[in-house]
Amino acid sequence: MTFEQFKDECFRLALENGCEAAEVYSVSNDGFSVNVLNAEIIKYSVERDNGFNLRVIFGGKSGYAYTEAFEDPESLVAHAIDNAKAIENTDENPMQDSCEYPVIERKPNPVVDLTEDEKINIALNLERDTLAFDDRVNRLGYCAVSTGVSGKHIYNTKGLHADAEEKYSYAVVGPILRQGEEEREAYAFKFGPDVMQYDEIIKESVDNALMQFNAKPVESGEYRVLLRNDVAGDLLQAFSSMFFADRVQKGLSLLAGKKGERIASSAVTILDDPFEKDNPREFDDEGVPSVLTEVVKDGVLQGYLYNLKTALKDGVQSTSNAGRGGASAPVDTAPSNFYIVKGEKSYNELVSELDSGLIITELSGMHAGLNPVSGDFSLIAKGLLVEGGNIIRSVDQITCAGNFISMMTSILAVGSDLRFGIPGFGRFGSPSLLIEKLVIAGK
Amino acid sequence: MIKSSIVTAVLDEALRTGGDFSELYLQDTESNTLSMIDGKVENANYNRKVGAGVRVLSGTRSAYAYTADTSDEALIAAARAAASALKGTKSSEAKSICVERVGRSCAQIPFSEIDNAKRMQLLRTATSAARSQSGEITQVVANFMDVTHRIAVYNSEGVHAEDVRPRTRLSVQAVAMANGEAQTGGVSPGYGMGFEAYRDRIDPSAVGREAAKTAVTMLHAPECPAGAVPVVIDGGFGGVILHEACVHALEATSVGRGNSVFCGKLGQQIASPIVNAVDDGTLPGEWGSMHYDDEGNPAQCNHLIENGILKTYLVDILGSRLMDHPVTGSGRRQNYTFAPTSRMTNTFFAPGQDDEEEMIRTMGSGLFAAKMGGGSVNPLTGEFNFAVSEGYWVKDGKILCPVRGATLIGKGADVLMKIDRIGRRMWMAPGMCGSVSGSIPTNVGQPRIRVSEITVGGKGGAL
Repeated sequence: MTFEQFKDECFRLALENGCEAAEVYSVSNDGFSVNVLNAEIIKYSVERDNGFNLRVIFGGKSGYAYTEAFEDPESLVAHAIDNAKAIENTDENPMQDSCEYPVIERKPNPVVDLTEDEKINIALNLERDTLAFDDRVNRLGYCAVSTGVSGKHIYNTKGLHADAEEKYSYAVVGPILRQGEEEREAYAFKFGPDVMQYDEIIKESVDNALMQFNAKPVESGEYRVLLRNDVAGDLLQAFSSMFFADRVQKGLSLLAGKKGERIASSAVTILDDPFEKDNPREFDDEGVPSVLTEVVKDGVLQGYLYNLKTALKDGVQSTSNAGRGGASAPVDTAPSNFYIVKGEKSYNELVSELDSGLIITELSGMHAGLNPVSGDFSLIAKGLLVEGGNIIRSVDQITCAGNFISMMTSILAVGSDLRFGIPGFGRFGSPSLLIEKLVIAGK
Repeated sequence: MIKSSIVTAVLDEALRTGGDFSELYLQDTESNTLSMIDGKVENANYNRKVGAGVRVLSGTRSAYAYTADTSDEALIAAARAAASALKGTKSSEAKSICVERVGRSCAQIPFSEIDNAKRMQLLRTATSAARSQSGEITQVVANFMDVTHRIAVYNSEGVHAEDVRPRTRLSVQAVAMANGEAQTGGVSPGYGMGFEAYRDRIDPSAVGREAAKTAVTMLHAPECPAGAVPVVIDGGFGGVILHEACVHALEATSVGRGNSVFCGKLGQQIASPIVNAVDDGTLPGEWGSMHYDDEGNPAQCNHLIENGILKTYLVDILGSRLMDHPVTGSGRRQNYTFAPTSRMTNTFFAPGQDDEEEMIRTMGSGLFAAKMGGGSVNPLTGEFNFAVSEGYWVKDGKILCPVRGATLIGKGADVLMKIDRIGRRMWMAPGMCGSVSGSIPTNVGQPRIRVSEITVGGKGGAL
């Protein structure tokens, strides 16, 4: 069956079998990626994805079933109804009706339309230029270019018809640098239509690897800390679920009951902006038209991120933050472009203001050493030791520990160097943040 | 599953531009998930993932194309797409199938015979056990999953392998809250079995109680002190230290390109002489087990480290070409959207000779890590980290109090040499391992061990 036939048949069977409504969420991808090493292609891949996620409303409950084989609609509908019957949560499950969407101008992406050979050449040149950039670049751990067209389609029996198509491209470089017997590596990414202007990621990755040489731990203790923009963005991402109405309603967020209260230093404003110019979208994963949400203003919590179901429960409007963690996943919550608004001071000014302390340039193990329910984190870190406003030496084999909520209240200054991370299940950004103290374990 | 004439056509089309090896991978996976929050089913989901991947190798170059469409035309198109990576002319033909390997499902009670009512009952039992453990438990999140993973692999060397891998897992996370603080405890047993796992291996009440106990214990625990101290790591999921600190750096993925601290170390002492480590994909009913790997090779029991000496790496087909090392039944992938690479299965420190009580009694002051969370490693430098989800501070050989927020960090090559005790009773626990070929089920395991010194990260003062 074609997609259309399969969809129509699923909708017909669902309504015929007593469902109040039915919806399909479909994600497609037509992608290409190439990895090179030593001027040869070592990995080349061509991707064709197509998934069909059926949601039915039966007896007021949502039930899901997902397939990638457009056959046997009877079985898919039966699975979805069966799953709806299992739901015991009594919250209502609204679906978006037919609606108008904001018109969004996306930047054209001519890279996607290049020939495969042209894309392979970008990767080969990226490797060549990285090797030539610095004598200490010994080899590359990773060098890849990916492009593609992804589509998102949400249709339901209430008249919703939401289609979006996006051309994407990115380049990744991971040089391995050698100095004496020591080897260090770092990665940098570039997203968007100008992947051919890759000089900045070569410099960034090489600089980040170079600054790790001759690193050693510092004494354990409390330190003033400057979280570099990329690290601050990663932490914000890891704790972003604290701001989801879903987690608040389920008793899984320390921000429950804090609306209107100060939860961060007055230097902190946090936005969820679906119109952000480099990653805009017309609608969320329920087909709700995009709206801008001010989550924190001057340190005061303004509200939470909502999808249709959690908004109805709190008697508010959806903030267009329905998200699905993949084509086969049920509706949950996800930010769009979620970021801390930039402040006044440059990175170098923040280093001077840090005076004596640590710049944290890398935090790892966030999937384990960090708990979004308690807000606690204790993570392996790399960084730079600063004394009298000057960088003294490189630091590694330390951990950096704190609590997200207390950290947010002890932010002394917010930098002007706002930077966004890799888009995925939401896209997150932050400027560098000067923090009064975090606990460092080292020697 | 598929006509043999199409298999031959796909494998031959893939070799058209000069490849010397081609492979067709077919997958049809069904899974059911159910989540319960606050004692009520919140979500129920059924998934069927169907697709195919075609891989071509030319020496150590690799091309991969995948498609969710498994029609004959789409498979040929995928073969053509993969072949287009190479610019040569055809130099080899696909052999007709001469090796048949068929792995059958070991499930005594297949998941297709189970309805949601039975799944819900497990979640309900686990949730109420967690709730009744303590009045401080404010929330319980319980998840159930079952999956029946069916794969078929055909390659140009005449191999046809099929495998069916049933797996199921119950996860419970309990939250304890008091005075504006929250702590969690989680337990997630899983097996490579059918629904009989809940008859033979998993007691949902015990899972709920254990999760609640950790959450409440941690709620009343002071912050862990920081510093470099002796650490005793308990058995079971404690084996994540072996997984992260060592075995990731033994995978061909990093060794094959010269990016591992253990390159060129075969036959050398890389660990304390009391250390024996194994990766065994053949263990019946275990979370990381399979009959055949995702390249069609039989799963193996690989003795990685014997008496501290490195004996083998974990090697897939591409890795065997890069390293001139036999394959070890380690080719794995999450699903058809990934080309396979070398991965772990059930990985553990083998039992040793030491007394479990003695190692705490004689450790002086340090940390007893009773339960571990996940972790990660950089194979190039061996720098690892993992979280301790339930820890106890030990003072003068006696357990003083529970401590929260501990993290262990170090370098794999150092920590392996510093293991000075290995206990007698080994057990395993399941995890999901992420790497270049996606997220796959792997078991980690060990007896209780002691490491003479590790850097412990925490934010507490002296105890």
